[in-house]
Amino acid sequence: MTIIEPTTKRGDASDGAMVRGTLGSIHVRADGPAKIRGEATYALEHRIDGLLHCVLVQSTIGAGRVVSIDRSATEASPGVRLVLDAFNAAQVKWIPDYWGNAPAKDYDTPFPTEITFNGQAIAAVVADTPEQAREAAARLAVVYEEAPVRATFDAEDTQTRPVDMMAKDWGDPDAALAEAPVVVDAAYETPREYHMALEPHGLIAHWEDDDRLTLYESTQWIDGTANWFAQQFEIPFENIRVVSPYVGGGFGSKGFVLPHSIVAVMAARQLRRPVKLALQRSQHFTAFGARPATRQSLKIGATEDGRIVAIDHQGTNETAVDKAFVEQLGSVTALLYAVPNFRSRQSIAPVHTVLPGAFRAPGKTPSAVGIECAIDELAGKLGIDPLELRRRNEADHDFDSGLPWSSRRLMACYDTGAAAFGWSGRPLEPRSMRDGHQLIGWGMAVGTHPVISSPGEARVRILSDGTVEVLSSAIDMGTGTYTILAQTAADVLGVPVEMVDVKLGDSTLGHAPVAGGSQLANLMVGAVYKTAVAAREELIALGLTDPNSPLRDQANTLTLSEGRIGTPRGATMSIAQLMAATGRSEIDVTRDTLPDGERPPEERLKYFTSMAGMEGGVRGEVSRHSFCAHFVEVRVDEDFGTVRVSRVVTAVDAGRLYNPKLADSQFKGGIIMGIGMALLEEGVTDPRNGRMLNANFADYLVATNADVPEIDIHSVGEPDYDATPLGGKAVGELAIVGMAPAIANAVYHATGKRVRRLPITMENLL
Amino acid sequence: MTDPTRIDLTINGISHTLHVEPRVTLLDALRENLGLTGTKKGCDHGQCGACTIHVDGERMLACLMLAVQADGRAITTIEGLAAADGTPHPVQQAFLEEDAFQCGYCTPGQIMSAVSCIAEGHAGSDDEIREYMSGNLCRCGAYPHIVAAVRKAAEAETDRAQEAA
Repeated sequence: MTIIEPTTKRGDASDGAMVRGTLGSIHVRADGPAKIRGEATYALEHRIDGLLHCVLVQSTIGAGRVVSIDRSATEASPGVRLVLDAFNAAQVKWIPDYWGNAPAKDYDTPFPTEITFNGQAIAAVVADTPEQAREAAARLAVVYEEAPVRATFDAEDTQTRPVDMMAKDWGDPDAALAEAPVVVDAAYETPREYHMALEPHGLIAHWEDDDRLTLYESTQWIDGTANWFAQQFEIPFENIRVVSPYVGGGFGSKGFVLPHSIVAVMAARQLRRPVKLALQRSQHFTAFGARPATRQSLKIGATEDGRIVAIDHQGTNETAVDKAFVEQLGSVTALLYAVPNFRSRQSIAPVHTVLPGAFRAPGKTPSAVGIECAIDELAGKLGIDPLELRRRNEADHDFDSGLPWSSRRLMACYDTGAAAFGWSGRPLEPRSMRDGHQLIGWGMAVGTHPVISSPGEARVRILSDGTVEVLSSAIDMGTGTYTILAQTAADVLGVPVEMVDVKLGDSTLGHAPVAGGSQLANLMVGAVYKTAVAAREELIALGLTDPNSPLRDQANTLTLSEGRIGTPRGATMSIAQLMAATGRSEIDVTRDTLPDGERPPEERLKYFTSMAGMEGGVRGEVSRHSFCAHFVEVRVDEDFGTVRVSRVVTAVDAGRLYNPKLADSQFKGGIIMGIGMALLEEGVTDPRNGRMLNANFADYLVATNADVPEIDIHSVGEPDYDATPLGGKAVGELAIVGMAPAIANAVYHATGKRVRRLPITMENLL
Repeated sequence: MTDPTRIDLTINGISHTLHVEPRVTLLDALRENLGLTGTKKGCDHGQCGACTIHVDGERMLACLMLAVQADGRAITTIEGLAAADGTPHPVQQAFLEEDAFQCGYCTPGQIMSAVSCIAEGHAGSDDEIREYMSGNLCRCGAYPHIVAAVRKAAEAETDRAQEAA
């Protein structure tokens, strides 16, 4: 990745050490050595004595009712310890889900008899070995009463429901569109897309006592998980320990407690034995929800010289028949361009599917497909280069909120990305470039993601040997949390990064909000920074005032550098020597970044166990967002219609990058997921029974190594201290946004064919 | 079918005797019976490559092989790749230096495939590396850095071979 140094500094909220230190520089991944040796222990790999194995059984109809289940053959199967279904399982308490859907009943089993989608959990089998559990599960005899299935929102009887709170309006779009000399009117669709983290979902549930539960679970949210189980199983929050030191990919799928986890916890409680449940790969498409299928229609009106006068947008996404999930399709539409007249409406279409969920940049990713393809169509209609059209409509402020941007270096993204790509040589007409039988096309699109923030908490310990521990229940799913928190503490305390040991992913280590919305890095470096500063002050006070300190009364203050403490121009000693001289075994400091004020402990906890403290892009008097511009070359085989992405240049404005190498990895990861979205990924559902037809890695295609070209990332961001305390903006989800439309636009440029439904496959181009 | 069978496996140079049902996959035998969890289960259907190991020096998918099929054979897993003194294998070191992973779950399989990709003589160009590493899925999207790591390790291997010659 190329880092473009900003020409202006925007002020500096941190002290000098932070600017010169390791934070912001490349440092090898702290959790890397364990991962390359196969020594990183993921949830299902913890060794617990007496472990039993649980298999989840899912419905094979899409709608109707479970009439009866004959468990006898299963129960008689070798090694079976327990068979649970709707007719014999205990009832547990249900609470509203994270999207605000109220439960149907206050108390119920985890196995509904009313079937609302194909793949719904209807039973579970626990046995001594995984093989025995699988065999026994196959012997379960389920009698269903089937009802008609509305499999997708393509069904004729589909009805939609408006989501009024998503409506956005300003100006008079109808009048502006009526008068606009040029109007684009087009509709775009995206299919169901699935997270497919490589690590299977699963957990080990271990009741160490009647009211003490330890969960080894792959989760993006330790405190949210503990809080859910505390409420559901009605035991104190403090009695639940959640352990998740490594998370093998999440992408939004491991944020919240899912039905299969509840099943495993229930089985373990009943058997008084630890129970392991791993979802089979095919179950990852239905045991929890992913990105719903979406449709958008857009009308964009513009003047002949390419000034946008109005946007009228309508979006619809699939949801479950009994619960609402909103994929916010207007979330990017309103943010990218200077639009004086605007309307956006959202609706949901209930169908027989698992409730969809958050998948990398939820809302933003499909939203960008609509607006960024439509802008490309507008450019074509106007005969203006699509990059030039975007420059002419750059938004000098957030037209949605009316507020100024905290920072927006999108024009710098355009300059840097276009130059690196060689965009200026692009012919305007499609189908203008070829290499033998390959048609070559260049396309571009913009992505954006809000800076979301919640309060954090951190504990920092300076130990007697001078090493430092940073502790938090925050998690690292490959996002770099271990590394950047070590870098943060190292800078503040003036020790080498190698002397900082970061411990994460365990509820005994403190509290943290969800690793989602690309918020965790910013909030945790902020919390660790604040805590480390407090620890540093305590260490300096120890040196200055302790009767046994050799540094006592030597100066007004002491400095910390390279693991040593001393006077600015005098003698220094190692931190370990000072600790020994003063007889201190450790300095142990915990701080949080909650709003000021007194609050009872349960109020405080809510900041970490719920979304109570979460703030979106608009905070105070500014609108906080990351931006990027993707430039893509595709090669389309004229005879076969195959599309290959041959070159990607992306310029990003994600503020200050705490570790450019790790940020580079995340940007590339988002781009690669975007390549999959544009060309490969599509969940296909049988219209007769709502069953997923391609629930495996051979048929649900994700990008492989051979699908991915070299990717060139340029960072043009500068520290944005109006966005976050240490100047970073959103990183993890940014670069998937806009990637699929950039490819679609490149395919149009190569072939002259506008494909408005993803993924773009060969049959669209022949 | 479910009567345990005695098998002898040599894993990372150490002999193990196991009594497993014939239906137990080599992957489950490694992970559940022996506690060698460095070899990962991603799909259990031979579609993701996370369980790639070496059997008698060849890369194999442990989820598509029954443990009884491995009776008497020599197996290398990610835990056995480093030198006896703990020095990482050059491919492991290259993965670390190039940041060729994020969540790390596919990483052991990627590394085992990469060692074979180089040994098989299929690391001659970036395109060739991409092709011969495409049996290993990475959802985090570390592919460009995986290619860089394999290229780096392959070049180092070539240099060592030339010095030795």
